[in-house]
Amino acid sequence: MASKKKGFFLFRWIKRMFLGNHNEVVDLLQEEQMQTPFKTMAKKFLKKKTVIFALTVFVLIFAFVLIGPYYWKLDLSEQDSTLTNLPPGYNMMAVPKEMKGNAVDIAPGGTFGFGIDGNGKIHSWGTTRITEKIDVADIPEEVLNAKITKIAAGFDHMVALGDDGQLYVWGNTRLQQGNFTSDMKKDQKDGWNIIQLEASTQFSAIVTDEGNLYLWGNKNQNDINVTKKYQGKIAKVALTANHYVSLMKDGTVVYTGSKGKGNPLASVPKALKGKTVVDIAATSSAVAALTDNGEVYVWGTTVRGEGEVPEFSVPVKGIYGGRYHFTALLEDNSVVSWGNNKYGQTNVPEKLLQGEEEIASVYVGNHQNYAITTDGDVHTWGLKGFLLGTDDLGRDMLTRIVNGGQVTMTVGAISVVIATVIGVLLGGLAGYFGGKVDLLIMRISEIVGGLPFIPFAMILSAVIGSRLDANQKMYLIMVVLGVLSWTGTCRLVRAQILAQREMEYVTAAKAMGIKEKVIVFRHILPNVFSLLLVSMTLDFATCMLTESTLSYLGFGIPLPQPTWGNLLDGANNSVVIQQYWWRWVFPAAIFGLCTVCINMIGDGLRDAVDPKSNER
Amino acid sequence: MGKYILKRCGYIVLVFMIVSFLMFSLYNLIPSDPARAELEPMRQSFKNPAEYEARYQALREEMGLNDPLVVRYLRWMGLWTDTDGKSFNGLLEGNFGYSNYYKRNVIDVIVDPMSNTIFINIFSTIAALGITIPLGIFCAVRKNGKFDQTTQVVTMLGYSIPVYIIALVFMFIFCIVFRIFPVMGIKTAGATYASGWDEFVDKLYHITLPVIVMTFGSLGGMTRYVRSAMIESLSMDYIRTARAKGLREKVVIYSHAWRNALLPIITSILGWFLSIFSGSVVIENTFGLSGMGRLYWIGLNNNDFELVLAIQMFYSIVSLVGALLIDISYGLVDPRVRVDK
Repeated sequence: MASKKKGFFLFRWIKRMFLGNHNEVVDLLQEEQMQTPFKTMAKKFLKKKTVIFALTVFVLIFAFVLIGPYYWKLDLSEQDSTLTNLPPGYNMMAVPKEMKGNAVDIAPGGTFGFGIDGNGKIHSWGTTRITEKIDVADIPEEVLNAKITKIAAGFDHMVALGDDGQLYVWGNTRLQQGNFTSDMKKDQKDGWNIIQLEASTQFSAIVTDEGNLYLWGNKNQNDINVTKKYQGKIAKVALTANHYVSLMKDGTVVYTGSKGKGNPLASVPKALKGKTVVDIAATSSAVAALTDNGEVYVWGTTVRGEGEVPEFSVPVKGIYGGRYHFTALLEDNSVVSWGNNKYGQTNVPEKLLQGEEEIASVYVGNHQNYAITTDGDVHTWGLKGFLLGTDDLGRDMLTRIVNGGQVTMTVGAISVVIATVIGVLLGGLAGYFGGKVDLLIMRISEIVGGLPFIPFAMILSAVIGSRLDANQKMYLIMVVLGVLSWTGTCRLVRAQILAQREMEYVTAAKAMGIKEKVIVFRHILPNVFSLLLVSMTLDFATCMLTESTLSYLGFGIPLPQPTWGNLLDGANNSVVIQQYWWRWVFPAAIFGLCTVCINMIGDGLRDAVDPKSNER
Repeated sequence: MGKYILKRCGYIVLVFMIVSFLMFSLYNLIPSDPARAELEPMRQSFKNPAEYEARYQALREEMGLNDPLVVRYLRWMGLWTDTDGKSFNGLLEGNFGYSNYYKRNVIDVIVDPMSNTIFINIFSTIAALGITIPLGIFCAVRKNGKFDQTTQVVTMLGYSIPVYIIALVFMFIFCIVFRIFPVMGIKTAGATYASGWDEFVDKLYHITLPVIVMTFGSLGGMTRYVRSAMIESLSMDYIRTARAKGLREKVVIYSHAWRNALLPIITSILGWFLSIFSGSVVIENTFGLSGMGRLYWIGLNNNDFELVLAIQMFYSIVSLVGALLIDISYGLVDPRVRVDK
């Protein structure tokens, strides 16, 4: 495309008529300027737009997976049953406009939120589809018609209270979430006034103004019994994931359930003795109590930092519990959060931290926090959602893709280096010695190259890898790939050495009395290097493909360590392909893009290095 | 020629021996004790530990576990007398071992999957060759045209993207969006067939998508290879001569150019022929087809090593015989190549 047309043809004609043709080479030397072969190659390589594009994309992906893991840190033991199979998006705290300035109650769930506005209308936001069949946003007709005063969100079910004292349950009701106990039915007939409504993992609770507590739901997993002697004295209840703790009307905190023996939740701190508790809150495994002089005590299982209560400058007004964190509202209207900060649950906005806003109420979901100000603004902080969704164990896909890319690329690169070293060494020896050594090495390479690659790699990985841990297995895969894929390089180097031996410069070197060994490794090999680079680039893509295929089959790098191959493990069923498309589309896309780019770079390199192949 | 083939056969036997010995010793690295495994359930029936130990040692002797590795290998191959000291009973006598997972002889386990794999691979081979060769020739003749450039891009995708991703995308398109093909399996679950023909049609219906994926996956490399071989031979002087003689373009391409391009293509068919055997591990697993690849995968996952070893030997023989066939066909296709030197 040297004769690129410039301007309209008439202008060019006129220009040439009067001014002469300037496209001709003016200076003979300019065209004949000498260039090193490397420069020529680089120039040729950079001339193609597609190659430049591929190179850019590859460098970007490479930088992404190289630097990314420092930002998106991988936690191999990570899993969260409340965050499984979430679609991509940042909508978990997207409170609808109609709610602003008009909110009565908010029920924040694990991945979604429900709210009632002043007109008794229910709004929902976030990921409400919990499983394939259950969508908590499918609100029953009777609920929409009723005037709802209170609402609570469990793990996969919702509970709402109408103004006539009627309870409604929807969502997952297959584990008795909707089966009210006989006591409840009897007391409801007598008329009750519910002051608190709570829901947790497959069970729900209500407290009436008479001090009665009623629990219903899945009995097998949860402690939903109330010890008789406490009935009528309960003021408030706080639900953990499977248990509950009650605040008595006399200001003490008691574990009123039946599974209190040996339960850390039942061991109320001794420091609380004699003090009056005014509020309690619970995370999934810990309870916090607030005394009337504004002190906070935390007990239970506090491995995620729930127990690290900060120093408060002013007394605390109210406390609220998420899944792994607590949030407290202070007397001066400032808000403080502490506990696990994986999803930014404790990153309270600066405005609220300083107490600049007048807070009316605070609602805390699993990982989300909502603060409603008196003038109707809703402030949120915590988990917004996942950019690329989550997988079947609730792990962030983005983190896994970035870290998986790092593993895949490292394995690919190191196995290529191993293969190249073996190939160059053996190929060089074969080309240099010739004769019997050549015959032997070529026979070996024929055997190794002839064996079906994937089954052989599988067998080596299974037999040798059965006693190795995950890290050692990664090294094993590198070695196996390297040891099985050196034959191409070996043949290339040997053929090149045999061809280059006949060249004039080798004859000249020989005439000067240079040793054969030096000729092969110092004179010939550098000339082969450019071709070697091409084969290394193409091999890099092949090794990445093989590693991912092995991992996909379960014989590569074992889970939970992610690679681009084993991210797709288990994706080959119709449910995942259709419903949870983000689990396979994103890893497949980035991996496909990466290998296509590497192959394009390799092809471009080959065209630049070997001009003959350009004609093909 | 006959001498050459004989020499190559000898070479195959030697290589097969080396490979099989390596594989056999690899498996013997695995810490397992079949004698103890057999005796353990009966432990309660022994009165004292000494009796158990004596029985255990006797069983080890009976199973030949105390013999050196080479003896055990030769016995497994069928070149050494069996533990009774008289008869030969090994691989060469047709005893491929006993599958611990299926609780049947390996030879009986293998028959069904083998027929499935061959069934699938015949279709995909025919489809792939039928598409790639005309496509490659066409692209070479119309070099750098629009169609050629598009094909280059598509084939690049075909060999850059791993086959299981192609499989997932095709599953999405054909099984979920259009609902044309079933996602998994080699026959309709629980179906009873009125006739053999119905069964055949049902099987065909189930393997159509795997065959399409397999063909698509192998398109890339092969088309590029055919194209570059054709371009090479089209640039030769004899093509110019043929054209100068006034031969029809068809004759020039198919008779003069194609015949000469065939040699390098045959070389690459070897690698490709084998990759269909190994590539089917991925395809068969993804689509849940009960073929050799899937059997191999199941065997490896369940530590059924006699089964795996037998399949591995099958793979090795296929690759070695394949190499021999290619070398012989060299001489048939191109008389200039003297294979019997």
